[in-house]
Amino acid sequence: MSTHELTQTPTSDTARRERLLGWIGLLARLVLGGVLIAAGALKVGHPVTSKMAVQAYQIFPYELAGWIGLALPFAEIVLGTLLVLGLFTRVSAALATGLMILFVLGIASAWARGLNIDCGCFGGGGQIGAGQTAYPQEIARDLALVACGALLIRHPRTALALDSRLV
Amino acid sequence: MAKKPNTNRTDRPASATDRQAKIQAAQKATSTGGANKITIAGVVVILAIIAVVGGVIWSQKSAEDAVGSGNTSPPAGATVAEGYRSFADVTLKPGAPTVTVFEDFQCPACRDLEAILGTTIADLAESGDIKLNYHVMNFLDDATGAKQSTPVANGAFCAADQGKWQEFHDAAFSGQYTEGTSVTQEQVAAFAKTAGVPDLSAWEACTSAGKYTAYINDSNESAGKLGVTGTPTIRINDQMYSGQTLAPLGTPEGFTKAVQDATK
Repeated sequence: MSTHELTQTPTSDTARRERLLGWIGLLARLVLGGVLIAAGALKVGHPVTSKMAVQAYQIFPYELAGWIGLALPFAEIVLGTLLVLGLFTRVSAALATGLMILFVLGIASAWARGLNIDCGCFGGGGQIGAGQTAYPQEIARDLALVACGALLIRHPRTALALDSRLV
Repeated sequence: MAKKPNTNRTDRPASATDRQAKIQAAQKATSTGGANKITIAGVVVILAIIAVVGGVIWSQKSAEDAVGSGNTSPPAGATVAEGYRSFADVTLKPGAPTVTVFEDFQCPACRDLEAILGTTIADLAESGDIKLNYHVMNFLDDATGAKQSTPVANGAFCAADQGKWQEFHDAAFSGQYTEGTSVTQEQVAAFAKTAGVPDLSAWEACTSAGKYTAYINDSNESAGKLGVTGTPTIRINDQMYSGQTLAPLGTPEGFTKAVQDATK
């Protein structure tokens, strides 16, 4: 970051573009990472609910779904922290994007099968009333996060990232 | 002596000083200026694995620790798989279907269902038209962080020990406390008094010890395995009704018709 600013003239188009992308990338990191940390933190301490939320999708075998439900909050917090810090941005963003795509597929599958469940994205989850489902909004939100992840995979060099301190 | 090299250095030509500075800068960059990527990656991966695996173990343990007293046996008349059978002494009519009501004492939608259908369901059970099981769940305690589902359920099963299940159950739903608030022992005892539990001090000892907490947790788990993902859910023989599918059963007439259809 610092070498760029020193060696390139401020009027250079590529430098300006790089710098802008760096700041947009920082924003993407904070949004994607922040959402992941919030989603994980809200589930910690509610193990039974976390298990039931994944089991409610009726995709994985019951026991396996329970273990996934227990592991997800911590995986989300780890990935979110790496993104906020900007550490191994490309790998973290790729994993987070993969996770979001799986969430989108899961929600779409629940929708298609006529289940009435809450996505359980930020805690809660399980069955809700027929008129209370919010599948389109949930999918749209996750797709926006996929876009953040895709941007970071394409341009992993972002402003204020720990990556720049690695050799 | 010590000062001499210093004086020499300042006398050096500018180009030499520049080169020296560049070498130092380069050395700094490779040796101390940044952390080694591979080492850091290894540390991060190990920490990530510890965080996730440790988190899973801790979560699983905290879910198990919620089991209070050492008692793991279900209340008389109840099984983990099928729940508690109310009106157990009634002789069933031939072909009477089994109706299982999956409920959480903290669930507002269950209170609404009980307000509309409670009497109908109890009447059908009392006349032997259905075999009635209550499958009690307590997941809302975990979801809301409040302590309500489990204490009230304990109160209900402790009342069942004295033959007052149905009375306590009805009192607890009509007087249900707000979802997400914890209840005191006194608040639960109010239901026992309304239900007419004969030996209140025995009931008190049973409830405050959390005698049926383990059973209630197991009951919640077994309901999940049956595919119950929320409450209220009603099962008539092997047919599950919840959310959208429960709506047609949401009136006394609708429920009675569903029972008649299921009667062989």
